Amino acid sequence: MRAQPFVVLDGIAKRWNGALGVQDISLTIEEGSFVALLGPSGCGKSTTLRLLAGLETPDEGQIIIDGADVTHRPASGRNLSMVFQSYALFPHLSVAENVMFGMKVRRVPKAERLEKLRRAMEITGLLGFEDRKPNELSGGQRQRVALARAIVAGQRLCLMDEPLSNLDAKLRHAVRKDIKNLQKDLGITVVYVTHDQTEAMSMADKVVLMRDGEIQQVGTPEQLYNQPENTFVAEFVGAPPMALIEGHALSGFSDVPTIGVRAENIALAEAGQGDLQCQVSDCEFLGAETFIGLEHPQAQGLTLKVAGLKNIPAGQVIDITLARETLLSFDKEGRKISASPQK
Amino acid sequence: MSRLSRHLDSFGAILLAIVWISPLLFAFWAAFHSTSDAVNFNLTSSLTLKNFQVAWDGAPWLRYFMNTFLLVTIVLIGQFIITTLAGFAFAQVSFPGKDFIFILVLLQLFILPEVLIVENYAMVSRLGLFDSLLGVGMPYMASAFGIFLMRQAFKSIPIELDEAARIEGCGWFGVLLKVYVPLAKPTYLAYALVSVSTHWNNFLWPLIVTNSDKTRPLTVGLSIFGAPENGVDISVISAATLMSVAPLLIAFLVFQRQFVQAFLRTGIK
Repeated sequence: MRAQPFVVLDGIAKRWNGALGVQDISLTIEEGSFVALLGPSGCGKSTTLRLLAGLETPDEGQIIIDGADVTHRPASGRNLSMVFQSYALFPHLSVAENVMFGMKVRRVPKAERLEKLRRAMEITGLLGFEDRKPNELSGGQRQRVALARAIVAGQRLCLMDEPLSNLDAKLRHAVRKDIKNLQKDLGITVVYVTHDQTEAMSMADKVVLMRDGEIQQVGTPEQLYNQPENTFVAEFVGAPPMALIEGHALSGFSDVPTIGVRAENIALAEAGQGDLQCQVSDCEFLGAETFIGLEHPQAQGLTLKVAGLKNIPAGQVIDITLARETLLSFDKEGRKISASPQK
Repeated sequence: MSRLSRHLDSFGAILLAIVWISPLLFAFWAAFHSTSDAVNFNLTSSLTLKNFQVAWDGAPWLRYFMNTFLLVTIVLIGQFIITTLAGFAFAQVSFPGKDFIFILVLLQLFILPEVLIVENYAMVSRLGLFDSLLGVGMPYMASAFGIFLMRQAFKSIPIELDEAARIEGCGWFGVLLKVYVPLAKPTYLAYALVSVSTHWNNFLWPLIVTNSDKTRPLTVGLSIFGAPENGVDISVISAATLMSVAPLLIAFLVFQRQFVQAFLRTGIK
């Protein structure tokens, strides 16, 4: 049993000229885990990361990294590395100089520096690019240089601020896997900021979902997906997001304000046999399956998943049934009601 | 119509260029001819290098060259250190009263240096720097223009680079030295050009504050050499003038392209 988690944020708050940045952020991060800070833009996830990095100072609360209180320690003294959204490569330095920048500052002996550089270049597949300047590299290569710079010094904590958002979709998928593998192989702790829930869900051991400067839910991707704490989490996580239905639209749920249901728990029913009667609004063909968007006056985000290609003209009325045992109930404020009414 | 106006533009530009360069051309003409040939514009007269010889023997030019060279170097080094630190403070450090102090620095731009000559003279004397190169250069080191320029250059550098360097373990001085200064190189170059040519040509202040050949820069030496009490020989003075401006002139001709680009890049006009 570990005495204390690797990173602890305790009651952190940060305000900008009185306006709220983040507040009441309490979080523990175990060593060697991959934690994603997820949320829409402006939710405070980047601020949280910058507080952790030491680029901002919190107004309240305490930050502990590896047993040491670093709340007021500058970034240079926190022994962590960071990958920036813009990569922040020094344009006047070559790839090798960029990667070795921190080691030079910390006066690592030259032989050791070169050895670590070679290893980092090997891991990130950049061998042969050492003498190029950042502006002679493609976006994907720059991204890997930024990664190399972050891992080369062997810091145990690595912060990443939307490192994939400047890559094209295909590359993003590949690099996502690389980062995850790298994190596992090196055994480092990664705190990863993203607004893309697919990224967070696929990479993280623990997802921290934020909104308006506050944490909404902390849990494994599976917990966030299947047991959302509130309707915001339900609607943010998953593609398509969870559909929310007003309770009185469903027989047997009239005392529950809101019902949540995942698309995979919705099935097409015979006309007149279903729980809800909806209008088709659009069909989205994704190859293996088709998402059929549905409209219902008392529901939002209803989507029916159908295998293969299916084209239902918009405006057609269809009936659907919901898998009753999977339904989630939320109260008037959108919070989860712990016991499902019919279980 | 537009064609005519374009030609008019070119014509005006050429005319201005001729007016601007004619003193220099005349100096060239005079320097290579005897005095009577020079003032009579005798086109068939023979060329001579005698004027240069007379001029060279007439004053300790080597000493003056050395003094000017040392002076512009001292001023430039002092300016680089002070404008870098001050520019960085105004660009990236937050301290109380920053905007007010910056406005005070900018106000300095409105004051002609000549207005301060008496005060500067008193100050330099109090510091015991009278008749020394440091005394000549000192009043120009905390250049408001330079501070403003450096502040703008530092402000245009992406803050992520600053932050990345800090994460990698740099303190503020390390960040300044390893990130801001190298990235502001074009600005330093442009500023160096302005500073060197200004101080190479500066006359009034060095005239007042220097007192001996030991410290006199070229401009002052040249004016004493050409002063009426030494007898006016237009050809010899022209030769001496050409010698004084030669290093800058040659440097300009050689680095013309770089000069223009440096100015364009930093937006100094």
